[in-house]
Amino acid sequence: MNVDLILEALRKTFPAETIEVRAMPVNETFVTLPPACIRPAAQVLVEQLNLRHLSAITGQDTGSEIELLYHFWDGRGLTLRASLPREEPHIATLTDLIPGAAFYEREVCEMLGVTFEGHPDPRALLLPDDWDGEAPLRQQPSPTPAAPRHPLPLPTLGEGGG
Amino acid sequence: MTRMTIPIGPQHPALKEPLSFLLTVEGERIVESVLRMGYVHRGIERICQNRNYVQNVHVVERVCGICSHIHTTTYCQGVEALLGLEVPPRALCLRTLLCELERIHSHLLWMGVLAELIGFTTIFMYAWRDREIVLDIMEELSGGRVAHAVNVIGGVRIDLDAEMSHSILVRLDELERQIETLLGVIQHERTFRARTRGVGHLSAEQVRRYCVVGPTARASGVDVDLRRDAPYAAYDQLDFRVITAEEGDVWARTMVRLLETIESLHLCRQLLAELPQGALTVRAPRRVPPGEVVSRGEAPRGELVYYIRSDGSDKPARVKIRTPTLTTLITLPDQLRDVNTADVPAVLAGVDLCIACADR
Repeated sequence: MNVDLILEALRKTFPAETIEVRAMPVNETFVTLPPACIRPAAQVLVEQLNLRHLSAITGQDTGSEIELLYHFWDGRGLTLRASLPREEPHIATLTDLIPGAAFYEREVCEMLGVTFEGHPDPRALLLPDDWDGEAPLRQQPSPTPAAPRHPLPLPTLGEGGG
Repeated sequence: MTRMTIPIGPQHPALKEPLSFLLTVEGERIVESVLRMGYVHRGIERICQNRNYVQNVHVVERVCGICSHIHTTTYCQGVEALLGLEVPPRALCLRTLLCELERIHSHLLWMGVLAELIGFTTIFMYAWRDREIVLDIMEELSGGRVAHAVNVIGGVRIDLDAEMSHSILVRLDELERQIETLLGVIQHERTFRARTRGVGHLSAEQVRRYCVVGPTARASGVDVDLRRDAPYAAYDQLDFRVITAEEGDVWARTMVRLLETIESLHLCRQLLAELPQGALTVRAPRRVPPGEVVSRGEAPRGELVYYIRSDGSDKPARVKIRTPTLTTLITLPDQLRDVNTADVPAVLAGVDLCIACADR
């Protein structure tokens, strides 16, 4: 991964981003962008630079906002950072660009109540079907309830034609 | 043909850990599968926010019951980076030694599970018998077969002397002979070939689309290995091959994993031969200065990612764990499409699932 090339491509697309570079323990670059730019930035990475490996999406409630970190990897780490408001946070999905993002987004959705617009299957990933509490990684007090539950239909005994 | 829906799991003989599928079949052919996970979700990321950095070493060790050591390694090296600690070389080598022993034990465990699921019980017995050699070594080194508690922030808490080193080398030679035998049988056994060739196929393109990592990616011809690409611990001083295959099926995954165990044996020998002298730990402060770090390690199943953020207190503000199994689970509906129901266990075992890791 050539970080300079990536930063140049991103600077060409978005003029106002702030960039900070870290070097521990392996070289990792953090790029902060407005939430609306995350999807176009991912598009630049995937389509222009062939950087397709999204390692993880970290969501964090800092108390004043919800931070999303998109950790990319290609021999070096690149993390895109966006801050969303705590009230009804939402951001565009990356699942059509990077299908591997589907589970990461589902997890951030149920743990922090972030809506990923355009996600094809926004069911909960880890929490039980009868969970009706707050989004568990939210700090208290939390302004939004947990994401709506979409339980998987269970087959009833006696059906199935066996 | 009429369609039928079969529930598999959360408790099922083909699954070693709870996971559930709804398979829609037409006759023997699977047309659709819906995956459901989360049965062993323990909220470990949240638990980590309520414990201090030292306590968390023991929390993250319990994410996984197979690859516990790589979790503490990746977590500790992240915290050490935040603290700016220089870990002594002897500690890094001992850490790496445990990582490689763990890889051997994990791959042999997997070999046994796959063999049992396709009805090859003899190989299951042999693989698990040979795995005991590694488990014994790890127990003698650390006192634990599964949770080794070897890593501390700033180093390791175990040491070994020349006598122990010699005893390990002797047993590794024995293990290598056993693995060669295993490999010989597997490669020439026609039934094994028939049950695994072309089953659970993933193309290199699918691997990249789904961000798959580890031996599953390498068996589809995607050459990624963090030990070589971003050397951590002592890997920059070691000489090893990254094993890849092109076929992308369960057969290729078997070959990649078995050949990797032999590479790991060589790595253990190199580490024991060149083990540097010196301290085992450096003193680590309880409070961690504000900052954030992304720490990566090559677990037996592939890239393991920890994101750790500190707010300056003695407890982390956030510990995010992304385990390799999460990336392979997402491929299962693709892998199961058009598969014969009898091959479902082979497909599930083929990617080496660790559900406890994925659910956290």
